[in-house]
Amino acid sequence: MVSQGLEQTIVRDPALFYWILIPISIVMILTGILRHYATVLMNTPPKPPSTLAESRERLSILRGVNLRNNASAVLTKEAFEARKNYLVSAYQNGEFLKDPENRGQAPANPMTDPAGMEAMMGMMKGNMMMMIPQTLIMSWINAFFSGFVILKLPFPLTIRFKSMLQSGVMTRDLDVRWVSSLSWYFLNLFGLQSVFGFILGSDNAANHMSQQMASMNPAAGVNPFQPGQDPDKLYQSEAENLEVLEHFCILDGIEDRILHNIAPKYGYTF
Amino acid sequence: MGHSSLEGQYSHSSSLVDNVRFSQQAPIILGAKATSAKINLLPAQQEDPGHYVLLEQLFLSCLQTGDDKSALQCLELLSDRFGPSNERTSGLYGIYEEAVAKGHDGLEKCLQKYDSILSENPVNLPILKRRVAILRSMSKPVEAISSLVEIIKAIPTDAEAWCELADLYMTQGMAHQATFCLEESLLIAANAWNIHARLGEVLYICARSGDETSGQYLVRSIRCFCRSIELCDDYLRGFYGLVMATLPLLDGRQGDTGFKISAAQWENTVPAATISKLHIFAKRRLEHIIEQRSSNHQLWESCQGEIIAAKELLDSLRDTT
Repeated sequence: MVSQGLEQTIVRDPALFYWILIPISIVMILTGILRHYATVLMNTPPKPPSTLAESRERLSILRGVNLRNNASAVLTKEAFEARKNYLVSAYQNGEFLKDPENRGQAPANPMTDPAGMEAMMGMMKGNMMMMIPQTLIMSWINAFFSGFVILKLPFPLTIRFKSMLQSGVMTRDLDVRWVSSLSWYFLNLFGLQSVFGFILGSDNAANHMSQQMASMNPAAGVNPFQPGQDPDKLYQSEAENLEVLEHFCILDGIEDRILHNIAPKYGYTF
Repeated sequence: MGHSSLEGQYSHSSSLVDNVRFSQQAPIILGAKATSAKINLLPAQQEDPGHYVLLEQLFLSCLQTGDDKSALQCLELLSDRFGPSNERTSGLYGIYEEAVAKGHDGLEKCLQKYDSILSENPVNLPILKRRVAILRSMSKPVEAISSLVEIIKAIPTDAEAWCELADLYMTQGMAHQATFCLEESLLIAANAWNIHARLGEVLYICARSGDETSGQYLVRSIRCFCRSIELCDDYLRGFYGLVMATLPLLDGRQGDTGFKISAAQWENTVPAATISKLHIFAKRRLEHIIEQRSSNHQLWESCQGEIIAAKELLDSLRDTT
């Protein structure tokens, strides 16, 4: 803690400002932009189903979900029971599966399954895009600029900020307002989001067009299953969900609703 | 109608007047496209996805009004951006080729082309749908239905396909199958009031068959129309349907409508008094809507046909009473 009234002064070479603070900021911004475009380039859209059977396997689960969500808005009791029975038995017998004879076998190891492998590669690429530039730049800063105090904040801060603002400078008595070069890197890393937003458009601007391309084929693009997940298991649990579903319908008594709620709205009373 | 004004001025609507007006703007829109090709310094000022939606709508309107040149221009702009192999642009290209195809042979050629595209990628949804449409326009409804069923088996979450299947079944007079399809599409889009109204119409047609279940069908039809009214304010089609569907259930009006329904078939589900109240409500509301829309020039233009039909219905009811 600094004694009251006494300002700590450090005589700094102004060159520190020009040759450390500004280069770090510029490098951070440039790598951010570079990373953005690299992600866009390496981004692979989710693979659409290649056969009709595959698409059927993916989307039939949504039929059960839709039935659960919307049956009450549409169906009469008979129609509801017919659909429920059909879907439950079809789910249980695995009628929607791509290759029904493989049912019950252990799911393929995602390491050997090419589709699973691809999805994992996609995830890995994304992570690598974040990690590699960060490590490189941090080691660069550590090697060249570690130990420099480059900036003095114009406002006082409590002692807790010391670890945040002065990493790499091992001085116990230094005022918290002094910022070290390594900390400036961290501040940039987390604080430049809005700058990128300004330069590159709002966060997902670059992904936007690719998303639009995907939505050009709305039904075929989505895959409700994670890689390595067994569709049969999901179907079984969906069948259980459907089995406990009770029928009710909002169309029952809608005549009275119209007469009592809607008609007065238009100024008629019955 | 509430929804037609919501869709904004740029949309491909079913009204031919709107389409003509929209396609007349083609030179302006396409001309603006050509001059705005200046250099973008900041990538933030990227293309607006709305432009391409607009181009697609313009393409459809131009084709419908016979302006094939502008349509081709739109298509070229789209395929410049998304590439000719993109599924949606290839579907649009298919529409264009069908539109300029000459006679039965031209359509046959389009069909062969679709088949060759599908042999490469069997899940190309726009092309699959175009194939059904072309079969339909070649008046082969049975083939169209069977290939549409194949699509629905693979992609059961497409409400549009279910509606098209219902429509195809209706052309074949298979109203019960059509009901099933419409219910399926409502399961996907539960609040679509137009599908509710369509389901009501199909059920009304079912009720005309005149066996002992027709009373139940008519009650279901009334409920569907009620639902569409509940979901959309001042929905003319819903009120029209409600007037039509309640009419056969009123006392002493059976003879006029050609329905053979005994009171025992439906009276335990809905009280007769409620039906007659609904009928009166729908009729009054219909009168009000007609009055309102006839006086408003813009509304009158956008839904002329509907209003004339509703007027005729009310006049015929007035004559008989």
